[in-house]
Amino acid sequence: MAVGDLVLTGLMAVLLVGIIALLTRIENWRSYTPLAGGGTATGEDAAVLNREKPAGIIRWLTTVDHKDIGLLYGLYGIIAFAVGGIMAMLIRVQLIAPGGAILGANAYNSILTSHGITMLFLFGTPIIAAFANYFIPLLIGADDMAFPRINAIAFWLLPPAALLIWAGFFLAPVTENMIEPAQTAWTMYTPLSVEQANPGVDLMLLGLHLSGVAATMGAINFIATVFTERGEDVSWANLDIFSWTILTQSALILFAFPLLGSAIVMLLMDRNLQTTFFAVEGGGPLLWQHLFWFFGHPEVYILVLPPMGLVSLILPKFSGRKLFGFKFVVYSTLAIGVLSFGVWAHHMFSTGMDPRLRASFMAVSLAIAIPSAVKTFNWITTMWNGRLRLATPMLFCIGFVANFIIGGVTGVFLASIPVDLVLHDTYYVVGHFHYVVMGAIGFAVFAGIYYWFPVFTGRMYQRTLGKAHFWLSMIGTNLTFFAMLALGYLGMPRRYATYEFDGAIAPLAQVSTFHLLATVGAFILLVGQLIFVWNLLQSWLEGPKIEDGDPWNLERDGMLDKEWEWYDRKLETAITDGGEDEEQSALTDGGKPKSDD
Amino acid sequence: MEEQPGLSDQYRTASPWPVFVALGLVLSEIGVFIGLFPVAVFGLILFGGSIAGILTESGYVTRPWPTLVGVGVVLAIIAVGLAVAYVPTADITVANIGSGPVLTRLVAVAVAGVVMVAMGGVGSVMEQTKV
Repeated sequence: MAVGDLVLTGLMAVLLVGIIALLTRIENWRSYTPLAGGGTATGEDAAVLNREKPAGIIRWLTTVDHKDIGLLYGLYGIIAFAVGGIMAMLIRVQLIAPGGAILGANAYNSILTSHGITMLFLFGTPIIAAFANYFIPLLIGADDMAFPRINAIAFWLLPPAALLIWAGFFLAPVTENMIEPAQTAWTMYTPLSVEQANPGVDLMLLGLHLSGVAATMGAINFIATVFTERGEDVSWANLDIFSWTILTQSALILFAFPLLGSAIVMLLMDRNLQTTFFAVEGGGPLLWQHLFWFFGHPEVYILVLPPMGLVSLILPKFSGRKLFGFKFVVYSTLAIGVLSFGVWAHHMFSTGMDPRLRASFMAVSLAIAIPSAVKTFNWITTMWNGRLRLATPMLFCIGFVANFIIGGVTGVFLASIPVDLVLHDTYYVVGHFHYVVMGAIGFAVFAGIYYWFPVFTGRMYQRTLGKAHFWLSMIGTNLTFFAMLALGYLGMPRRYATYEFDGAIAPLAQVSTFHLLATVGAFILLVGQLIFVWNLLQSWLEGPKIEDGDPWNLERDGMLDKEWEWYDRKLETAITDGGEDEEQSALTDGGKPKSDD
Repeated sequence: MEEQPGLSDQYRTASPWPVFVALGLVLSEIGVFIGLFPVAVFGLILFGGSIAGILTESGYVTRPWPTLVGVGVVLAIIAVGLAVAYVPTADITVANIGSGPVLTRLVAVAVAGVVMVAMGGVGSVMEQTKV
């Protein structure tokens, strides 16, 4: 113990000296009081603002530019998506055989827990922040976010959060399983999560808490940006749909995430400081479920509203028509935002809560179908009689609508108490929310990446690979998650590492067939995502360069948004500064006379 | 004599501080919650110092030292306040530091606060004597 403390103290001292050395190298503190050194205003001007950013890795570590931070969020999100995806593949391979193919029960539980948390908190929220950071300032005509430094702080909280959430996987081998990965499932229900003595759970909770702090800081920043930094020609009346959804999402984050943070602190105190918030003699285990889902259900809309905004923005561009019923799409976004705080107990219908309360939550949950349907019908009507161009972003938008309908309608069934009591905690629920999170949110993210790929990289992606990615994802998603809906009807419980039922209880043959189908679908998805990553990397390095600021030919329909205008200006200035002008001057100065000789 | 400009003066869209604010917050949380004394003290100092740095850099304050002292005082008051409220007076002894879940953590927070006050004071004095 004493040796450990000594090592830690030494480590911290080294870190402190290192950080101070680094800071004094890159940041001369005397420059804060320039007059003390006798520097004049003109002398200062000459030294200041030579370039916007330093070079190399320091640029990325110190950037407060919203576009750079957007790219960092994007990279982070894609890495988390890969990690969560590998975990999903392990889960699916495990379930090929009723006895479990590759993992022990503990390993399975760990991976199941981390898969959920990784996908929701480390992929979903950050990848949306990637788009929002990059494009909200451009779309509303702002120079940058309202608080650029807070923006950077919010991002830099995320990598340590991820390391903490995954800490158990790294630490289990070196601590001889003293610290293991958490096995609480992503909902962290008490009393299970209080009674697991494993310190890996504490580390995961701290990581989650930090990711919540990051999301809240980001949300405050987006709200301030949209309210105060809009350009002169951007009013509330002509604010674009993506900014509306981000604004609503940020409001949801502002009310939901601090609550998650508080609940996590309470759980940490129950675990470490002998408090009794969630103990039977204190608040009771059900209190956790109320607090968690009061955050957890708005979280669903935190994840889905901005992707809906992406689809509402991109789908009209390839339909040749403006978004049908723009106002009502905005109203439905706001309505979903408000309603989302009144439905949390539909996750708890089977807990034995008061039936009158249950009925009211059922009513509000069913009511959410209305604004959701308003959106769906508006997307369909936008495409109706339009001049459809089935480019990859459009394919993903259409895939979004199709999958969202299945994910949404299965949700309406689950909102009904009698149906829920039968299907609760079965694979039907898993199928339902994966249709939304993968089939809808994932697809909208892909649509956004392909649509703005030219802006990010200055190059075009490879179309054939993009379409292969779409079709493999579409088929894989539907095979995997439709099989899960069927498994739910067969009574297969979720979260199980093995399923060797007695044949008298459940039809084991059918259950294993559908598990096999789901795994086949997952492999199809995997191949699609490998193609996606390959396309992304290769096209970034070698794809054909974009010549003008309208690669999608949006000018024709009068739908060239501000971000493309910005991109066009950027291309033009790049050419004047470096490329053509210099060549011409080189020719006039040196080239021609020589060739004349 | 021309001053060497700092990174944040030289580049309009760069700041060295956000990474350290984030790292400071992370280490403070881990240190205080898991109960790792050195990590807690170091993390809180890094957090407070980075806050002082980032506020100075963005022009909200002119000198970092008063902020550092302020953060230190706030932390020390919180730690002492919690100790008075939740730890029985008889248990607050030097011998008891290291045992008991709450006292050790509070001592870590208080130590970090005191160190920050000292750092801020020394920095302030050095700055004035140099000019």
